[in-house]
Amino acid sequence: MNENINYKDSWLIIKEAFPILNEPLQWPLPISSEERFSNALNIINQLKLTKTIKSLIISRIEKHIREVIVPEFWSYFKKTDNKVVGFGKFYKAVEVLYNYFTQYLWLMSRLNALCDSNEYSDVTCCKNDSAETLKLIIRATLLSQLPVEHTKVIEDFYDAALNVEDTDGYLNERCVLCTKDNCIDCFYDTNRKLGELGLLEPMVGQVLTSLIYTHIENHVHKTCKDNFDNSYINILENWLNFNVIKWLHKVYCFGYKMDLQESITKFKQKLTNFLYETYTKIRINQLFNIIIEYPESLPALEDLNKCLPNTDLRPLLTKKLQKAMETRLLHPGVSTPDILTAYVASIRSMRVLDPSGLLLETVTQPVHQYLRSREDTVRCVVSSLTEEGPNDLAEELVKGDAVHVDENTPSDEESENWESWVPDPVDVDPRKLSNIRRTSDIISMLVNVYGSKELFVNEYRTLLADRLLSQFSCDTEKEIRYLELLKLRFGDSQLHYCEVMLKDIADSKRINQHIKQDRDYIENNFPMSAMIVSAQFWPPFKDEKLELHSKVLAQMEAYTTAFETLKGSRTLCWKNHLGVVDLEIELPDRILNLSVSPIHATILMYFQDKNHWELDDLSRILHVPATIVRKKIGFWQSHGLLEESKPNLFYLVEGENSRANVSAEVVEDYESESAMASTQDQREEELQTFWSYIIGMLMNLDSLPLERIHQMLKMFAFQGPTIECSLPELRQFLDRKVREHQLVYSGGYYKLPKPDML
Amino acid sequence: MAQNVDPHYAQRSDNAKHNEEGRNNPNDSHAVTKRLQKELMTLMMSQEKGVSAFPEGENLFRWIGTISGPNDTVYETQRYKLCLQFPNSYPYTAPFVKFITPCFHPNIDNNGNICLDILKDKWSALYDVRTILLSIQSLLGEPNIDSPLNALAAELWSKPEEYRKHVLDTYKQV
Repeated sequence: MNENINYKDSWLIIKEAFPILNEPLQWPLPISSEERFSNALNIINQLKLTKTIKSLIISRIEKHIREVIVPEFWSYFKKTDNKVVGFGKFYKAVEVLYNYFTQYLWLMSRLNALCDSNEYSDVTCCKNDSAETLKLIIRATLLSQLPVEHTKVIEDFYDAALNVEDTDGYLNERCVLCTKDNCIDCFYDTNRKLGELGLLEPMVGQVLTSLIYTHIENHVHKTCKDNFDNSYINILENWLNFNVIKWLHKVYCFGYKMDLQESITKFKQKLTNFLYETYTKIRINQLFNIIIEYPESLPALEDLNKCLPNTDLRPLLTKKLQKAMETRLLHPGVSTPDILTAYVASIRSMRVLDPSGLLLETVTQPVHQYLRSREDTVRCVVSSLTEEGPNDLAEELVKGDAVHVDENTPSDEESENWESWVPDPVDVDPRKLSNIRRTSDIISMLVNVYGSKELFVNEYRTLLADRLLSQFSCDTEKEIRYLELLKLRFGDSQLHYCEVMLKDIADSKRINQHIKQDRDYIENNFPMSAMIVSAQFWPPFKDEKLELHSKVLAQMEAYTTAFETLKGSRTLCWKNHLGVVDLEIELPDRILNLSVSPIHATILMYFQDKNHWELDDLSRILHVPATIVRKKIGFWQSHGLLEESKPNLFYLVEGENSRANVSAEVVEDYESESAMASTQDQREEELQTFWSYIIGMLMNLDSLPLERIHQMLKMFAFQGPTIECSLPELRQFLDRKVREHQLVYSGGYYKLPKPDML
Repeated sequence: MAQNVDPHYAQRSDNAKHNEEGRNNPNDSHAVTKRLQKELMTLMMSQEKGVSAFPEGENLFRWIGTISGPNDTVYETQRYKLCLQFPNSYPYTAPFVKFITPCFHPNIDNNGNICLDILKDKWSALYDVRTILLSIQSLLGEPNIDSPLNALAAELWSKPEEYRKHVLDTYKQV
């Protein structure tokens, strides 16, 4: 070993071999020849300075990176609003960094050689690992100086790239975003460089993830906004696989070598979940509209059904839908038929979503309650059942099976399908018995709104009576068909009355024929036929008085006699105010053919006898209040037949001038009023029943609070044909009684007034 | 024993006479509930003046009854509350009836217990709440002096003025 070493020269040689040691630093590093380098190695080895030199070099590199390279790199990350600029800046920054890196690689290989020559090993710096060390240093230093807004530029870069990728058309052409021809190449290049530097995931990963999330969100929104007619979930999944995941592959193929496939798969799972979740959320927000558009929206529902098990959004769905129903459906501005249509649609759509029916029950609970508070609900249900309407209830009625009369008996069907049994959804209140499956039959659900078939059947009876009486035709074929269908559901016993009613119509036809053939029965002037209905079975008629003209009465008497001979011990009790009169009115200049109500016809008949009538006289003869008579006369006035010459004095217009008086608009007096006692009246009767109970209760138990009265009624009075009475309704009723001084209310308690009716 | 007693129950009541309350056959109980419901309904619908009754609470087997004193007696204008307790064997066994409002009467003791044949050995399943209350109402005007529960009242019955004073003293305005 040479002991006379010239330290100064040696240092120069070493510095030449490792130019980083120069002070001040020259850049780019001057490259020295291999000969000089091996010379330097020898010297270092001789002096056993390997370790010192090496750490010196590393610290120099660190200093350089810290003070020059990293600040330069980050200086590109100034915030810009222009995406194109952002793209370019990031590209440039990476390029600069990579240049430095490649320069250092050369130095690093020398450093490796230095280590090798000495078989020197170190924990922090093993063989061939200098490059890794360098990457580590760069990475650490970069992240230690991370500026706040760096994500913006990265985002711009990848966003631009992703958009280019997603709009396939621009893939290989000049892209719209940047001015360079080869921006896709730039993009790959940058990714490769970052991958080589090992910076791809640490620096870009997070930004990229959030970027992709937003991208997915936007795409889902864009794809399925307000469009429910197509199933999107497969399209979206394909899009995810073929566009997003493929793109990710392209980005990351430089980053990881070994476990690329695995990590992409993992990431893909995450993204798929996210996609499902986003899609489900959108659909949940649109669910109300989807329901309204059922069945056109069936694909959307099926999508939702597919997605729901993959997400935990079921509670959200329940909440949102309930809210939507409340704000959009359950307020006074929506008409009952519309609510019913929506309700039916929701039953149908919920069937798709949740065959167990529990979701439906939860969601439609408020609708139920609301419908109960509407007076015309039953009427609407019944009329939509029997008429062609938007609800298709008639169709439902035709296709439906019979309802299980007893809901508690498990049907055979259930045990047969045990293989397809599905457990109840987890979020359902376990207190609700699942074995009482709601029949998803729409009609029974609608009937169950009121919890009583009786009310429903009663309403049907009233409507049927109305229709039969107003039509005055004996064509009951259609009605019989509906009745048969309803019988399938409600059982024969419930609809027995209606059957009798229809039979009455048929009988009337026959009796009419019989009586007309009777030789003792003579028809003077006009033909007459009667609708003979059994008082026992028809709903109560509205009671109105009307005294008919004597000619008609005589005819009716003759009819009654004929009937009595035909039927033996039975007789007829005429309802004068009901019926239809076909009139042919001959005027000098024209003939009027009209179908009018009995009162109209009677008025005109009286004018036939005498052409002047005082309103009061007429009212007395007819047994009808003057106001109503005036209203009915108005009908004839509008036809130009009657005129009011003086106040309350009417005369018959005859002659040529009658036509001139025909007012432009004929007062259509055909109020489509029901001939039946209204639901309100019937309800009043029911409340009267409760009232007896309430009196009995208060008589014996002195005073009770509202809730207690309600509870007692529920326990003892809501049975048999009567139906329930809600708490608010009861309160209203009791308050009315208080106003009428039939009750005393004090301190939250109701009681009977002292001098009571005992 | 009344003739229309169900033999099934008649047989059983021999063994179980002393623990009537203890009997608890759910099927019977259901039938009794139905019967009581029906009675309540008829009573409510009948609008009977002078007598009335209603279950006290959730328990259909315990009713509170109200009767007003019959006209033209010292009890006129007064109202008495009673408690009716129905056994599970009702209507084959009489209900237990007792005055809540204190009542001065030869056949009613100080605790409100009533001595009335139809509530004891003359009971028949044909009676119901309404007829029981009507019977008790008429008992007020026509006491049975021969088997008094309240000896003082029986003694004073013949002296209307003193009797009236006692009745009014005993009756506490509800």
